[in-house]
Amino acid sequence: MSLDILNHEPLRFLISFALILFLVLNLAAILTLAERKVSAYIQLRYGPNRVGPRGLLQPAADIFKLFTKENVSPNRADRWIFLAAPIAMFIPAAAVWLVIPFAPEAVVADLNIAIVFFIAITSIGALGVIMAGYGSRSNFSLLGALRGAAQMISYEVPLILSLLGVILLAGSLSLVDIVNAQSGGFWHWYFLPQFPMFVVFYIAGLAEARRVPFDLPEGESEISGGFMVEYSGMTWGLIQASEFASMGLISALHVTLFLGGWQPPVEFLDLGNFDWIWFGLKTALIMFTFQWIRWTVPRLRMDQLMDFGWKILVPICLVWLLVTAGVMLII
Amino acid sequence: MTVTLPEGDLNGRLDHYLEGFRGRHELQEASVEKNVVRLVIRPDLLPAILTTARESLGVLHLSFITVVDLEGSYELTYELLDLRGGTVRVKTTLEGEEPVIDSVTRIYPTANWHEREAYDMFGIAFKGHPDLRRLYMWQDHFDHHPLLKSFEISTKRTFEGLR
Amino acid sequence: MIREERGAGEQTVEERASGRLAGTAIRDEFGLETLDMNMGPQHPAMHGLLRLILQLDGETVVRCDPVMGYLHRSKEKISENRMYPAVVPITDRIDYMNNIAMEYGYCMAVEDLLEAEIPPRADAIRALLNELGRIMSHIPSIGFLLLELGAFTPILYAFRERERIQDMFEAITGARMMFHYIRIGGVKSDLPEGMPERMWEYVESLEERLNPDFIDLIEGNEIFVARTRNVGKITQEKAVEMGLTGPPLRCTGVSYDVRRDYTYGWYKNLDFNVITDEAGDVEASYRVRIGEVRESIRMIKQILEALPEGEVMADLGRRIRPPEGDGFGRAESARGEYAVHVVSDGSDTPYRVHYRTPCTVNMQLLQEIVPGHYLPDIMPIMGLIDPVSGAWDK
Repeated sequence: MSLDILNHEPLRFLISFALILFLVLNLAAILTLAERKVSAYIQLRYGPNRVGPRGLLQPAADIFKLFTKENVSPNRADRWIFLAAPIAMFIPAAAVWLVIPFAPEAVVADLNIAIVFFIAITSIGALGVIMAGYGSRSNFSLLGALRGAAQMISYEVPLILSLLGVILLAGSLSLVDIVNAQSGGFWHWYFLPQFPMFVVFYIAGLAEARRVPFDLPEGESEISGGFMVEYSGMTWGLIQASEFASMGLISALHVTLFLGGWQPPVEFLDLGNFDWIWFGLKTALIMFTFQWIRWTVPRLRMDQLMDFGWKILVPICLVWLLVTAGVMLII
Repeated sequence: MTVTLPEGDLNGRLDHYLEGFRGRHELQEASVEKNVVRLVIRPDLLPAILTTARESLGVLHLSFITVVDLEGSYELTYELLDLRGGTVRVKTTLEGEEPVIDSVTRIYPTANWHEREAYDMFGIAFKGHPDLRRLYMWQDHFDHHPLLKSFEISTKRTFEGLR
Repeated sequence: MIREERGAGEQTVEERASGRLAGTAIRDEFGLETLDMNMGPQHPAMHGLLRLILQLDGETVVRCDPVMGYLHRSKEKISENRMYPAVVPITDRIDYMNNIAMEYGYCMAVEDLLEAEIPPRADAIRALLNELGRIMSHIPSIGFLLLELGAFTPILYAFRERERIQDMFEAITGARMMFHYIRIGGVKSDLPEGMPERMWEYVESLEERLNPDFIDLIEGNEIFVARTRNVGKITQEKAVEMGLTGPPLRCTGVSYDVRRDYTYGWYKNLDFNVITDEAGDVEASYRVRIGEVRESIRMIKQILEALPEGEVMADLGRRIRPPEGDGFGRAESARGEYAVHVVSDGSDTPYRVHYRTPCTVNMQLLQEIVPGHYLPDIMPIMGLIDPVSGAWDK
């Protein structure tokens, strides 16, 4: 009797799907704590340090609080849309994790079109924002939703364009192939030849994850929470969880596409089956830079955001795409 | 556009203001005390005098409008500054229960909210004001003008014995 | 193409009285209406309790109508019913970010009535605390500007400074916020032992921290510049017309400062510059504020170097009963010209006290310059004016 049965299809998929869901939800909780701790250290404070050792159990307390809170919805709200919106935001963020390779053999679904899957599914996230904003039937959330829709759809363009260079180099749409193509030390990783694309992907990723300086749909100082202004309790918690999940997802994609995924920086540090540690370290590093930016810079304005996306990021992508293609043609 | 502020000796400038007002208008009282030109005028002359102050004499800044309820009449003080040490203080008295005075918002646009405040607190109507709404008190179902002496508040009793 | 179906002038009396937005539906050629939005009174970025009735065309503000009075505490009526010394704590609560200037203005007005002579040491201490109070108000206001632009960190750095100044105020006055320290005829008590040295040390260290903690963090930031440059642009003429005072006026280049032009107290012995800037936008107002913090540090040092000895309270008798007449006091608060007009009828209580708070007047700017800006630009414009709820509502 071996555990081989777990490797057969329906069971393998179900177990790994449950594991992914577990991972994403926990990631959201841990990132909440990390966000608060990072912000505290940037702001010369201690951050949460009462619940558990050094405040490590704070996420549990937060979640417990959110579960016990009443879920209030506005009287005029479109109840079904209002309640479905957090789910519509969370599912896509969690689903894309299915195609992320964590370690050489550890990927739930090794799709040969994983990048297309990622692009298609993350677009649904914008739908969730619109549903939340429109369903709340409040001026503030409507403005937030409009901003969110405009922002996420227009930043999809540089996001996709910046992926094309990697696809050209790797010659595949599968994330596992892309990681394998980057093996053999950090000088083989794609962030070196594709540095402008890496920067564009980073910025567009920030915008996709709705992080400062692109948190206009939230805009807590002008539209006081934007699309989620009416949410409370666990629906709000789910929106937060999906924000953090998509932030983790974008970081993981950075690592997979540009920083060599599970590949160690130099050959002799290969940990075999434990290469997911490298993946985790790199992802954590990217997430930390996201938080670092979050607590340092102010937010852009809508017109500046659009200008930046269309007039700067997209041309950079196109130019570098031509350069990449040209170099590949010559060599 | 740059704004030119008055220059030169303060006392000379104050005398210039005083002469400027005296030469153009009929004043009830006019004097210079320290750095202040004090004018007491009839209420109907107010817009003309403030126009003189701003247009001819270059006193650019309206600092505030104080209304004092003298129980039966209202004393209005318009404090104008030339921003360089000189002050023009125009006093006028309104008689009667339903006081009306010309608005000076066309001369000093900043008077807008000062006049709204005076209307709110004392019920003085400013003729020609573009937007005479209450500034502080609520707009609906509140018929009082709280700074009138006839508007009693309960804490007054506390100090009655000391008066 | 936006055209108004009905102008503001055609609004009915009922509409105007009810405070609903004037005029109203604006339709463009496609028949699309504008969005009426009610910002506040409970809103995270409204510096207290302010309600802005906005008409939005997309993200562009078409009309902005500020509604105040949500924090009106009837300071003037209360002042009429209290004895002269008992009004001082009332003035404390007008502008709770910069209380010392509020006390100072009122005390000057009553001393003007009494024609009292203030001992030089009291004058110097008043100016000293006034300048400390200005730092205590300007630095958080820069922090608030950044907070409203979306950067959360500078406000905590700013409050660290405010906290240290508050500690000193606590040692001097016994209170952290509502000081009630400047009294009619002088100040409550002399500085505690060692305080001048402590203050000197603090302003020296603040001068060192100003560059790394504020200027480098804020000015070097592209996004800050993009959000504030040419936002809330005011011309000099407009600024003078609207009666602006303080940093909003000085950032347009009009050099007017009550401390210099209508000098009072110890300020005539001090050598200081009035900071102005030409641009007249939000960024310029930020630069003016930082410059004023530097000037205040310079002034504090000058005062501490030549702190006169002697009494801190003039003998005005136990009961203060000024003669009939008008008393005027004018002080430069952190937000602009603060003036107090006290009318006395010869009794123990003032007959009428009028406070001219800079915030009330500067706030008129909102309805003038916000239309045409984007919705998120309201926040930096509020940062330019930097109003305090207690001060605009009195």
